[in-house]
Amino acid sequence: MKNRQNLLPVLDGMAILAWGILLLKYSLSGQLKLLIHPNYFWLVYVTGVVLLLLGGVKIGQLVGAKGKRVSQFQEKHLTLFPPGYSSGLLVGTAILGLVMTPSVLKSETALQRGIRESLPLTRAQPQAFGSTSKPEERSLIDWIRTLNAYPEPDAYIGEPVKVKGFVVHSPQLPDNYILVARFVITCCAVDAYPVGLPVKLQAQESRSTYPPDTWIEVEGEMISETLPDYMKESANKRQLIIDSRTITRIETPSDPYHY
Amino acid sequence: MSFFTLFFSLLVEAMPFLLLGVFLSSVLLLLIDEGKLIAKLPRNPILGAIIGSCFGFLFPVCECGNVPVARRLLLQGVPTSSAVGFLLAAPTINPIVIWSTWVAFPNQKEIVLLRILFSMAIAIIIGCVFSVQQNPQPLLQKMLSKRLRVPQQLEQKGIPTLLRGGTFILSGEGSPVAMTEIIPPTPRSKGMSLGGQFVSNIAQELRELGGMLVIGSAVAAFIQVFVPREIILSVAQGTIGSILAMMLLAALVSICSTVDSFFALSFASTFTTGSLLAFLVFGPIIDIKAIGLMLSIFRPRVILYLFALAAQLTFIFALGYSYFG
Repeated sequence: MKNRQNLLPVLDGMAILAWGILLLKYSLSGQLKLLIHPNYFWLVYVTGVVLLLLGGVKIGQLVGAKGKRVSQFQEKHLTLFPPGYSSGLLVGTAILGLVMTPSVLKSETALQRGIRESLPLTRAQPQAFGSTSKPEERSLIDWIRTLNAYPEPDAYIGEPVKVKGFVVHSPQLPDNYILVARFVITCCAVDAYPVGLPVKLQAQESRSTYPPDTWIEVEGEMISETLPDYMKESANKRQLIIDSRTITRIETPSDPYHY
Repeated sequence: MSFFTLFFSLLVEAMPFLLLGVFLSSVLLLLIDEGKLIAKLPRNPILGAIIGSCFGFLFPVCECGNVPVARRLLLQGVPTSSAVGFLLAAPTINPIVIWSTWVAFPNQKEIVLLRILFSMAIAIIIGCVFSVQQNPQPLLQKMLSKRLRVPQQLEQKGIPTLLRGGTFILSGEGSPVAMTEIIPPTPRSKGMSLGGQFVSNIAQELRELGGMLVIGSAVAAFIQVFVPREIILSVAQGTIGSILAMMLLAALVSICSTVDSFFALSFASTFTTGSLLAFLVFGPIIDIKAIGLMLSIFRPRVILYLFALAAQLTFIFALGYSYFG
């Protein structure tokens, strides 16, 4: 019992230290960008440093008080859980976080959240559309942005396209169409918002050539066709489609999300 | 796999704000003389609730940070109405959140204004409802109620001792005195410097609340992964349906109030202004991640009441706006 009493504050300090290390690991390894928006990077970084310091001081206190009767702060052992469980949970979670690498969100998540060709208006709105950027230099998000500003698909027919994204198989689309999609993040991975455009494969290809979650670069030109609405808002809809000329598989980029 | 990513994404996002809240709470504990603070706060429940809900300006915290501060306020003996008012209003009525809502809805200033107004109103109404219970002990989670620093004897002055609850002993003059009045206040420092206590308190609160945050985030991530959003959105037919759907979404997605207006924007095209308001008002008050934290203050039944009251009020306000706005 006495041992347990002395162990608890150590566990507290360990929990704080472990979280400090975890947050710093995310910050320094660049994995943070799989979790949250870059605007909050500094917050996590500062928190990591503060936690590390706190944990150090806390453990220092215990070491300093060794020998003497540990005069712990008055209010202790008063939690929802039995003493030690909460710290244990924190330490356990931190270790789990240190062992596991955060993964890139998958097409499954994209389908579950519903892919759109509209953007949350929060994102930088296009100052102008069309003439300022060359169509072949636009990223997928630039296209979505442009489309947001001027949604008429026919306006873009014939423009060259070269975009990167991951493959999503939409159950609404015919077999020779895939979606090329990316996630947009406003705060953290929890609110990641999938946007995408349909890609028409070449005549001899079927979607099984490009399994879901493969990262691809699509080159081609814009056409408009009436297709079943993959956004499920109506039965059929005339929409902007990339008529693919070449599709190359690429590595998962180190910054898979757009902001 | 995506469960873990979402889980850690929530935790990493919330941890800085939790730390900020715990910091403020520890500052409150050590630097503010609770006696003076309480004496200055009005006893009147309505005024108390109003003042409590404006504390958000002093402590700009979101819904992960407000729980440690509200908990500290309650422990220091701040009237229930003020503490509940703070708990419900602080995540919305604070400069950062007001600013981010302003940025997110540049063309719809009425959303900013109504978000503040509705959140205030809800916090004040619920604060008043809770002020009926003057002694917060029965509301609080058992372990916490033992930690109450200042027993709420202030209201009880003037009430005959026969009508009061508690333990009494006879004093020298033969008149009964409440036990709580003669127990000397706990001395602050016990062999530890102010700084040492500060660190100890932060460590303790981080441990208690961090554990709850882990559980809350796990539940929220689970729901995110296994309940498709489409189900919620498909319910959203008509005025009432869309308000209910957005409230449900607000409770489920558990994002911080500082950024939830940006999130709400992504629905701006599909949903009515009334239902967006419902999302913005209800989200900061209740979300799954915060319920875990709130369990560290209140008993489950109290949270249920809070939840039901806040949900009904939000619904009524949003509906009222949809019809008359």
